[in-house]
Amino acid sequence: MKTSETLIPPYFLKQFPSATAVVGKDGVLVDATHSWFQIFEAETSSGKPIHMYFKGQVELTKNQLNQYLFGTKEKTFRHAKMDQDQELWYESTSSPWFDEEENLLGCFIHTQEITELVQNELELERISSHLKAKSEVAKIGSWEYDIATEELFWCEETKKIHQVAPDYVPTISEGIGFYKQGYSRNRIAMLFHNIVENGTPYHEKLTIITKKGEERWVAAAGKAIRKDGEIAKIFGTFQDIHDQVMADKKIRESEQLLNTLIDNLPINVFVKDKDSRKILVNKAECEYLGTTPEALLGKTDFDLYDKHVAQISRDEDLEVMRTMEPMIGRETINVRKDGSTTNFLTSKIPILDLNGKANGIIGMSMDITNIKQKEEQLRNLINVTAIQNKKLINFAHIVSHNLRSHTANFSMLLDFLIRETDEKEKKRIMKMLFHASDNLLDTLENLNEVVDISTNVNLDKKSLNLSENITKMQQNLSAFLEEHQVEFENFVPDDLMVLSVPAYLESILLNLVTNAVKYRHPDRSPLIELRAVKQDKHVHFSVSDNGLGIDLKRYGDKIFGMYKTFHNNKDARGLGLYIIKNQLEAMDGSISVSSEADKGSTFNVYFNEETE
Amino acid sequence: MCILMKKLNSIYIIDDDPITVFGIRKMLKAITICKDITEFENGRVALEALKQRVEQGLPCPDVIFLDINMPIMDGWEFLEELVSLNIRERIIINVITSSIDPIDYKRWNEFRLKCWHYLNFKNKPLYKIEPTDLSRVHMAS
Repeated sequence: MKTSETLIPPYFLKQFPSATAVVGKDGVLVDATHSWFQIFEAETSSGKPIHMYFKGQVELTKNQLNQYLFGTKEKTFRHAKMDQDQELWYESTSSPWFDEEENLLGCFIHTQEITELVQNELELERISSHLKAKSEVAKIGSWEYDIATEELFWCEETKKIHQVAPDYVPTISEGIGFYKQGYSRNRIAMLFHNIVENGTPYHEKLTIITKKGEERWVAAAGKAIRKDGEIAKIFGTFQDIHDQVMADKKIRESEQLLNTLIDNLPINVFVKDKDSRKILVNKAECEYLGTTPEALLGKTDFDLYDKHVAQISRDEDLEVMRTMEPMIGRETINVRKDGSTTNFLTSKIPILDLNGKANGIIGMSMDITNIKQKEEQLRNLINVTAIQNKKLINFAHIVSHNLRSHTANFSMLLDFLIRETDEKEKKRIMKMLFHASDNLLDTLENLNEVVDISTNVNLDKKSLNLSENITKMQQNLSAFLEEHQVEFENFVPDDLMVLSVPAYLESILLNLVTNAVKYRHPDRSPLIELRAVKQDKHVHFSVSDNGLGIDLKRYGDKIFGMYKTFHNNKDARGLGLYIIKNQLEAMDGSISVSSEADKGSTFNVYFNEETE
Repeated sequence: MCILMKKLNSIYIIDDDPITVFGIRKMLKAITICKDITEFENGRVALEALKQRVEQGLPCPDVIFLDINMPIMDGWEFLEELVSLNIRERIIINVITSSIDPIDYKRWNEFRLKCWHYLNFKNKPLYKIEPTDLSRVHMAS
């Protein structure tokens, strides 16, 4: 057979319904359908090498083309061309062309446009890669169960979550077996049963044990897909929410811890917004205000406390928010609406919003009322101790000085005595020694009297009639008073009672009256005025005279001191005032003096009338 | 050692304790010849006497024995007044006290530094009066 005879007549080929071309063994186009020429934008002329026609096609080289066309098997390949910015895709299939004796004569090429198909393919690829990425990023896996075939499909992510190999093929019982034994497994079995039977969808947080034995929280969801009213498939998602659940749990635990802590702190804790409204209060704060948290939230200090106190607190809040500097450990006094006061040690710390601006404060107040009271008591005690200490030192000096001066005299006189040869002089020295000994005894007696007062801890105070005691004193001193022609002006009410140790009252009256007489003015006879009045917590008793008076500028601080005498008076011991001052102080009373030289003095005695 | 009987014109003893005054007089007898020894029982009377002396243009005492603890006017007050008197002569003042309180010694030292007169500090008991208690001029010279 000759080649020419085997040629298909051109009219025949032209009638092919699809775009077809015939290529000879030599690679030259024999003929093609009209539609084929249209695709390749060529004149309807054959006789050119086939690759010339493919020249306008992209995604295809001459070598590739030759491989595709001249094999012994059918080949399909794709190519594209640009047509006004649009890419047109084609698929050509080449099949070998044999004669009757199976000699290869060339090949047929069928070409068809597949642009739409390619685009669909691209879209699908995009969607599936998108889905995969999404599933990977969100850690959301999916699964599908076919009711008819009982086949279970897990997506890559679902497998990853189960920590099984990518080629793992699960069964439904294996799938359920991954859930943790107990609640999770029972629950999923029931849910799965329900969805298969009734199509009830589910979404549940459960725990699984992965292939590697890790316990993890997952969110499993399922939805039935129906076909012709029958449940055909179950589609579901599967999400690893372990970190989230753990974080949630941790947050809840921290929150719980924080709440327990704040609530049970033995200090008042409160959080206020920028308008100083309370937005959080703890138990201690509620108890202090005697109400519930609900009643306190939204309230300001003006609703809860005295106006003045509330304003101070508001000013503090504003200052803390303005400076953004915490106020630490300030002593504050709170006055509640009912007037009761509490001492607090308060700290206020600014709360900053995300822009770094203060939009509220955290406050902490510790009730230090008790501590304050203790402090006050302690301070009083320290004062008392300091005074007593001073007194003691003073007394020690007096003792050492007075005793020392007597012993010094003894020492000196004995030294004289040893060396003296003259008998007459010896006698004189001996007389002196006796005198010194008498002085020492006197001094010791005086000191004893003072010590007695200071050590008299258990004072037996009694309510005594002042007037009666004055009369008694006047009787005891009658000779002395008569001798100096003393006149009294007594304004003491008959029924006035004072609280005193009887012996002390006697001593006070005796000393003040004898002093007034001792320091009388040489030009006039003594006149003593006695007055007494009951005041708030004490009785004020005064003794005024018309005597010499005392230069208080000079002696003011010394007048009640021991062994201080200010007048040239032989009777002065410098002890009387010292002793009655001690007696009065031992009874929580006091004594003071006012005086004008040459006119007279007034001694003011205050008896403490408070019984403890 | 040569003990010379020092001759003095006038001595003041200011002390309210008669035994100490007796002692000082007795000790003075042993060391000096002085016809004018006057005693005062407090600073006030001594000061008045001294002022009078100055007013009359009489010489001041050469030596004063001064007690600290006295009624009416004590030794310190007396010294304070004496300083303000502006006496040209330098009096030897022997401060005598039974006190062993360091504060008294400090006070004496303050007076010593600001006072024109010679100040000695003597603790009781006294047994003997030294020549230096009576004179500042060296005996041998």
